[in-house]
Amino acid sequence: MALLRLVLPLLLLAALWEGAVALLHISPFYLPPLRQVLGAIHALWPAYAQAFMVTLGEAVVGFVAGALVGVASAAAFHHARWLRDMLFPLFIASQTVPVIAFGAIVVLWFGNTLMAKAAIAFYLTFFPVTVNALAGMEAVDPRQVALLRSFGASRRDIWWKLLLPSALPRIFTALRLSAGLALAGAIVGEWFGASIGVGAMLLAALFNEQVVAMWAAILAAAAVGGTIFGVVALVEARLVFWRDEL
Amino acid sequence: MLTVGAAAGPRAKLQLNGVSRHFGAVQALAKVDLGIAEGEFVTLIGPSGCGKSTLFNIVAGLLEADKGGEVLLDGAAASLLGKVAFMPQRDLLLPWRNVLDNAILAAEIEGQPKRAARETARSMAADFGLKGFEGHYPQQLSGGMRQRVALMRTFMFDRDVMLLDEPFGALDALTRAMMQRWLLDIWSRYRRTILFITHDIDEAIFLGDRVVVMSARPGSIKLERRIELPRPRDPALLTTPEFNAIKRELLDAVEEESLKTFAAGAV
Amino acid sequence: MNATLARGLAGGLLLLALWEAVVRLAQVPPWILPPPSGIVATTWSARGALLDAGAMTLFEATAGYAIGAALGLLLAMLLALTTPVRKLVLPMIVLINSVPVAAYAPLALLWFGTGALSKVVMVAFIVGFTVFLNALDGLLRVDPAAVSLFRSFGAGPLGLLWRLRLPSALPAILVGLRVSTVRSMIVAIVTEMLGSQKGLGWTIFEAVLQIDFLRVWAAILAASLISLSFFATVSAIERRLVFWR
Repeated sequence: MALLRLVLPLLLLAALWEGAVALLHISPFYLPPLRQVLGAIHALWPAYAQAFMVTLGEAVVGFVAGALVGVASAAAFHHARWLRDMLFPLFIASQTVPVIAFGAIVVLWFGNTLMAKAAIAFYLTFFPVTVNALAGMEAVDPRQVALLRSFGASRRDIWWKLLLPSALPRIFTALRLSAGLALAGAIVGEWFGASIGVGAMLLAALFNEQVVAMWAAILAAAAVGGTIFGVVALVEARLVFWRDEL
Repeated sequence: MLTVGAAAGPRAKLQLNGVSRHFGAVQALAKVDLGIAEGEFVTLIGPSGCGKSTLFNIVAGLLEADKGGEVLLDGAAASLLGKVAFMPQRDLLLPWRNVLDNAILAAEIEGQPKRAARETARSMAADFGLKGFEGHYPQQLSGGMRQRVALMRTFMFDRDVMLLDEPFGALDALTRAMMQRWLLDIWSRYRRTILFITHDIDEAIFLGDRVVVMSARPGSIKLERRIELPRPRDPALLTTPEFNAIKRELLDAVEEESLKTFAAGAV
Repeated sequence: MNATLARGLAGGLLLLALWEAVVRLAQVPPWILPPPSGIVATTWSARGALLDAGAMTLFEATAGYAIGAALGLLLAMLLALTTPVRKLVLPMIVLINSVPVAAYAPLALLWFGTGALSKVVMVAFIVGFTVFLNALDGLLRVDPAAVSLFRSFGAGPLGLLWRLRLPSALPAILVGLRVSTVRSMIVAIVTEMLGSQKGLGWTIFEAVLQIDFLRVWAAILAASLISLSFFATVSAIERRLVFWR
């Protein structure tokens, strides 16, 4: 059923694409037929598969690290009020910095490695996760904390048995948002001199003015994004099954 | 003041002597003296804002009393945190734990092995009317059932003294009456010392060995009334002349205090 | 509240001081990390060019923002009115949106050239999606009891939309508008970095090529300041409009 809900819009979109191109005589400069784009991917399958894997790797490394560090720093902020007061405004302000502009500098720091792209993906994931995890922990009913304390619970007990599970729904909201951001970070990171990856493919297609290759790269990006998003949604469904309650 | 609230016999399980509490300039409690004997069921009523919750939090060990007063458990002064089983107004069940795992929460925090705790909980489930629902999640249960899970959690936190803060306050009248009878039944079987807070005078009389009435803020013990009605008690009791006489007496006391609060603009 | 503010300020100043001290004491070369004082100095001396570039980027961002917000809101209202169409169209829109906008930037450049138009289109695209998704969520998340009540008063679909759904969706719509401010600047800059003759993104790209990293930092500072003021303006409007929160 869930699979159907995913596949149906995909098929519909594909049909719409093919149909529109054929019926409305859309110039291939704007939208080449889907068959042609898929054919281009098929013809260069190893290259696309490699680009997919490379970009997925960069985004996932940054994404996972950003999620872990984000939750950890939210916990630190929750425990130490002064730390929160000192750093949280900076956090909010730094959200308005066009972070992607740091791409050039990060690539300079790490060279043209997986780390450079992962670092950008990390930065983009880290903030939303921290903000949401903190909000989730702050929203915990103080009476609930009092109850656990009356059972003799230690800080650690309270964190593992109450604060973290309570914050999970909001953490996953942030993770779903960050999945796309992490990928965007990886793609833009590749624009600064990378030769392999979905972002590099996009850039190459732009320089050669190949619309078909560009759409093929967009589809590859969609595949990477869909993979990350799908895994996050799956884990969320397993872990946060009680979500409707909150 | 020597007789009111003096030690309830030589075996006072829980004893409060001159317990006060200020919050800044506001005095919430003024010299509360209260003794509860082992195995006794004491119910406590009072107008809104009389400091019931403050008293409760002090007995639960979540709040310190002002200097000068003392809270004794088995005659000894010590931190009460973790020594009293306490059940708040809301059930506060964790939505990600099923019935069994919610019930064993306290036991788990104490360090009991989960498997053993679950076995105990499973064997208690029938007593608490939860047989067949062990694997359900709180959001799948009715209000009465959720409250029974919370009570089971409190009972599984195996302490001699239990504090119940309006546990049936949010239930509809019919469910509430059933839960009261059921609680008495459980209590007669597990024999714990209970301090039970409520708004409802009928409930206080129906359940308690003794009813304690608190005064308007700053809260202190205004009146204590032993309830000599025979046990086991059943709903027919609620319409007997004896019951009504006690109710009349307590209503007068509570109303007097409520009026004071009302006049003070606190409601 | 004042103590909190003081701590926040202290935190910011401490961070800047730490940054400056580390860079100076460890003699970090400027291409790795320039000191804050150096960034501010460069920003000041290059203020003419930066202001020029910033004006261009801000124009692209705000023009795209206005168009995108209007289109997103309109589409959300249309789909809120027509349930069957929504059920068909919404999953497809979500799919299209699941591709990061950065991936569409090369297309926009190819189609609309390296001038301002491609940036405006890209910004309108991302802002439109953000506002649309937020607005639709708000329009549909209305208490069903309130809907029944309004219908019992004889309200039709349009009356329902105007008197109940829009006002209750206002907070969600404004959140979308606020989040979109920062996104519009980011997208304008990213698209500029890929191809343009003007703007802060172009300044950054050019400075990277010339290995002038102080200028990169200066451009980022300018972009952040513009972003922050755009964000603050929309936030202030939001606070005025949603006074009941």
